[in-house]
Amino acid sequence: MGANETMRTIVDSRGSSCPGPITDLAIAYRRAKVGDEIELWATDPGVKPDVRAWAAKTGNEIVSVEDQPDKIVVVRVVKR
Amino acid sequence: MKKVVIVGGGTGATLLANTLDRRRFAVTVLSNSAVHVFQPALLYVAFKHAAADVARDERRLLARHVRFVEEPVTHIDLPGHVVTTGGGRRYDYDYVVVATGVRTDPSQIPGLSDVNEEFGDYHTGVAQAQKVWARLDAFRGGTIALGQSSPIIKCPPSPVEGILLAEELMRGRGLRDRTRFVFFTPYPRPYPAEPMNQIVEPILRARGIEIMTFFDVDRIDPRARTIFSIEGEEIRYDLAIVIPPFVGADIAYEPASVRDANRLIITDRQSLRITGFDDAFAIGDATNLPTSKAGVGAHLEARVVARILSGERAAFDGRTHCPVDLGGGLGTFVIGSYTAPVVKYPPGRLSHLMKAMMARIYWLSLRGTLEPVFDWYFARTDPHRLSRTEPANRRAA
Ligand SMILES: Cc1cc2nc3c(=O)[nH]c(=O)nc-3n(C[C@H](O)[C@H](O)[C@H](O)COP(=O)(O)OP(=O)(O)OC[C@H]3O[C@@H](n4cnc5c(N)ncnc54)[C@H](O)[C@@H]3O)c2cc1C
Repeated sequence: MGANETMRTIVDSRGSSCPGPITDLAIAYRRAKVGDEIELWATDPGVKPDVRAWAAKTGNEIVSVEDQPDKIVVVRVVKR
Repeated sequence: MKKVVIVGGGTGATLLANTLDRRRFAVTVLSNSAVHVFQPALLYVAFKHAAADVARDERRLLARHVRFVEEPVTHIDLPGHVVTTGGGRRYDYDYVVVATGVRTDPSQIPGLSDVNEEFGDYHTGVAQAQKVWARLDAFRGGTIALGQSSPIIKCPPSPVEGILLAEELMRGRGLRDRTRFVFFTPYPRPYPAEPMNQIVEPILRARGIEIMTFFDVDRIDPRARTIFSIEGEEIRYDLAIVIPPFVGADIAYEPASVRDANRLIITDRQSLRITGFDDAFAIGDATNLPTSKAGVGAHLEARVVARILSGERAAFDGRTHCPVDLGGGLGTFVIGSYTAPVVKYPPGRLSHLMKAMMARIYWLSLRGTLEPVFDWYFARTDPHRLSRTEPANRRAA
């Protein structure tokens, strides 16, 4: 894979409530490069406001938030 | 007789070794250290100058029929059923259980090794925790910054506990007016799980502790005494207690794919089997389970594995149950599971007392004889049950 290629990482945080999905997102974010997409799967209801606050603070874009039987949140990392 | 090799000599390994039926299993424990530290006590070594009964000799904690070998494990060949030690000795097995915990790794963050060297930290070991105390003891005023430098942490309540105890210490010494406290965290709020944060954050605010959220440590300049975050913020400090990142043990696996990028073992959430292997298990902090890294998890997971090895049907439910010291003689618990979000458990003196009591019963609990008491207690504090009896606990979706 070339150095400029972006990646899509799936982070499966289902079942996690303490410390919670935001932890897994922050870990994935550390490893991500500009333009990468992180898809976060979570069941903890607090994930939506957390991801919104996180994106606002870190200058990232939320591509979509989908409610599925297990919740899916897609975040695109645009700044680093 | 089935041969069981347990790798590690901490909470999970010791309890499991002592609870397996000696008539059916020949158990060998391989650990890189014969010193077993009661890690929750490191908080009190660092912030209260505690010294009593922090560590014991692992050989005396294990039942007599368990074979103990003090040697670091360097290689585990899962398809070949062989565990190899640094001294080149090979142990074959019918079942292997990995309970190697996590260790601190300051090298991940530029400048952190120097900061930990200067001010100590309370997640690495007794000597480092004693250094924290020495620096706090000599402190006469200025800014104390405390926080975790990576999202992965052993014992999630420990950063909040640390700053509350530091604040209490300086208040008691008449230095509060001359001390500014800054608490930093990569999370959106001081405690990551919102229900527990509703208890913790007002206490931090009431004690005048400044809070910096979304502060993901990028690097530290020890000369300029400044911590920089990925998000571009800075903290100037006079004394910095920075909890290092954590990684899994330095063991090579065959296949390498059973570990993630943080060297945590990819473990089935219910059966606790190492992914792809029927006869290999991982418990405690060493796993990638989406639960808090805490002794309670290691304890409950050891019991699940003991039951599975004995031929019973058993599955781990993701239960966490962590005591939190809020300072001033108050305590609470973080309680949750895979299917029950964290419960808001009101702070009280009894919870604090129970945390103090755990320190006493820890060594005894490793023998496995207190299990009926634990069963009763965990059933009474089941998070589903607690959130039923206290509707305010339920979290708004
Ligand atoms: C400050 C602090 C406060 C805490 N407070 C609490 C609390 O209040 N409640 C709570 O439940 N938990 C608390 N914890 C967490 C708790 O101590 C750990 O989660 C628990 O000890 C994990 O058990 P374990 O068996 O997974 O790993 P550990 O107990 O850490 O044991 C790991 C073992 O593996 C051995 N090992 C490592 N590498 C190798 C190798 N290569 N070869 C052989 N052996 C190896 C180590 O020597 C050690 O014996 C706290 C921790 C800290 C640091």
